[in-house]
Amino acid sequence: MIRLEDIWKTFVMGEQTLHALKSVTETISAGEHVAIIGPSGSGKSTLLNILGCLDKPSRGQYFFDDRAVEGLDPDELAQLRLNEIGFVFQSFHLVPRLDALANVELPLILAGMPRAERRARALEVLDSVGLADRASHRPAELSGGQKQRVAIARAISMRPRLLLADEPTGNLDTHSGEQILDVLGALNQQGLTLAVVTHDPDVARRADRILEMRDGEIIRRLSPAEISAAHPGFQREREGARP
Amino acid sequence: MSPEDTFRFATTALLQQPRRAGLSLLGVVIGVVAVIFLTALGEGAREYVTAQFQTLGTDIIVVIPGKTETTGMMPGFTGTPNDLTLDDAEALLRRIPEAIRIAPISMGNDTVSYENKSRQVIIIGSTPDFFELRGIPIALGSGLPEGDIDRGTNVAVLGRKTAKELFAEENPVGKSIRIGEWRMRVIGVNGPRGTHLGQNLDEVSIVPVATGMQMFNRTSLFRIMIELRPGSDTDAVKREIEDVILDRHREIDVTCVTPDSVVDSLSAIVDTLTLVLVGIAAISLGVAGIGIMNVMLVAVSERRAEIGLLKAVGATQRQVLMIFLMESLVISTTGAAIGLGAGYATIAFATWLYPAMPAEAPLWAVAAVLGLSVCAGAFFGVLPARRAMRLDPIVALSSKG
Repeated sequence: MIRLEDIWKTFVMGEQTLHALKSVTETISAGEHVAIIGPSGSGKSTLLNILGCLDKPSRGQYFFDDRAVEGLDPDELAQLRLNEIGFVFQSFHLVPRLDALANVELPLILAGMPRAERRARALEVLDSVGLADRASHRPAELSGGQKQRVAIARAISMRPRLLLADEPTGNLDTHSGEQILDVLGALNQQGLTLAVVTHDPDVARRADRILEMRDGEIIRRLSPAEISAAHPGFQREREGARP
Repeated sequence: MSPEDTFRFATTALLQQPRRAGLSLLGVVIGVVAVIFLTALGEGAREYVTAQFQTLGTDIIVVIPGKTETTGMMPGFTGTPNDLTLDDAEALLRRIPEAIRIAPISMGNDTVSYENKSRQVIIIGSTPDFFELRGIPIALGSGLPEGDIDRGTNVAVLGRKTAKELFAEENPVGKSIRIGEWRMRVIGVNGPRGTHLGQNLDEVSIVPVATGMQMFNRTSLFRIMIELRPGSDTDAVKREIEDVILDRHREIDVTCVTPDSVVDSLSAIVDTLTLVLVGIAAISLGVAGIGIMNVMLVAVSERRAEIGLLKAVGATQRQVLMIFLMESLVISTTGAAIGLGAGYATIAFATWLYPAMPAEAPLWAVAAVLGLSVCAGAFFGVLPARRAMRLDPIVALSSKG
């Protein structure tokens, strides 16, 4: 479904040229669950932004369903994000003045869906993340895990095929984080293609494939079994922290 | 995104900061109220002037000493004219066939006293026709005596209020009063007439015109009012009057004014004043627009994360633009609507305070100010909305909020 061919992203800062991505080539098939790991500054968020059509590569080709993203104008990109791609952020990015239902409705409003239909759809999606009873709560009245579940509901309200999550559990405690990962995993089971950026091996382990990045390059492609071996210390630390 | 949804979304955003939105809205309200109220006053002033002159009748010509190049402007400041005399007045009555009444007028200001009470009042010297011309009723006694206008007699007709102040409940008719150094006999009291052409006719004392001229030591009349047969051609009569004056003075050193020309020129003055005031009020609308722009710029920078999110979720540039433009429009149209109501309330209050003063906002002004304020909202909303539209979603998403 997704094909990246020799993707470069270059930032020019005065005299310095910074390569955020260096010749990234990767294919993600429909229904796959991919995790992108790596330290800060490794280029994983830049890669996610390019996957989400929020950013354009400096060089290289990105094909979404064999469609060259490069040739799309801003409106077509917006259309692509609206219909095909869902975003989940570390800091949730809910609109604070809108209640949970209205936040979930937002993409449906942008798509021009009639009021009654989108209400029903938003409620249905909220229900699928187990928050139907919180529909009229504002973000400030929700816990972190609930906020992230609302954000996921918003991301899938347009029934996209690709869901991009940037550190979805980064602001959550372990328990809420597990819940979120369960929700994402279930969505993947239903056929949604999932790309998760994380530096947490526990999160990465749930993926089918793990791309490890460093200095703008994919340095390793790991399986879930391999990640435990690659990051044993983290695993112990995590388990030791649990009561 | 339907306009209705855009509106709803914009409204929730504005209600998030009610005080801020309210204050920027207040600017629009003030501008709209100012325009509506000031045009209403201007329109009222014009109606008032017109109404005043209409009571005078249209078949009136006023002859004023002094010439002007542009009719209608204040005469008397253009060189020293010949005296306009009682003989001129008599000649006009004799030689203008259309003239049915003629009232030469002299005017001054002096102290009227009776026993130990005195009042400073306007003294009008004229003829019995004056009462007819100005529509002054006689309440007690009689008006000025008919007869030779050259001969002054020491009689006076008091204005209603003057009589009341000097005589209280006593009947003034036949009583002797002093006007300045002159001893006069009261022969009548005016009925109520109120203010007419800027003069409160209840607070005057009317004496024979010759007496008036002697009292104030004048050789020239203040003016001559001539009533014409109904349906006369006033322009033709004006020329006849000028012929008579040319005959007698060897030059045309008078100005003939008809109520129409006075109304026309006063209307022109009122219109100019109104335009100036409305212009100033319109400037306040511009200032209100800048207020909206300021509030929206703040909103855009505060809501960067929200803008980033909208873009990530799939909002087109146009949708982001419309959302923020809609907020400006909601502020300006709400302000215009409230201003419209408040403007009419102000007019209602003003006419309640001063019932004599008609005040009604002309429709064109109301339409113009509403259109203008909505346009101001759109115009000043474009810059902040464009800024929102152009925000880089990645940068915007990384901001707090």
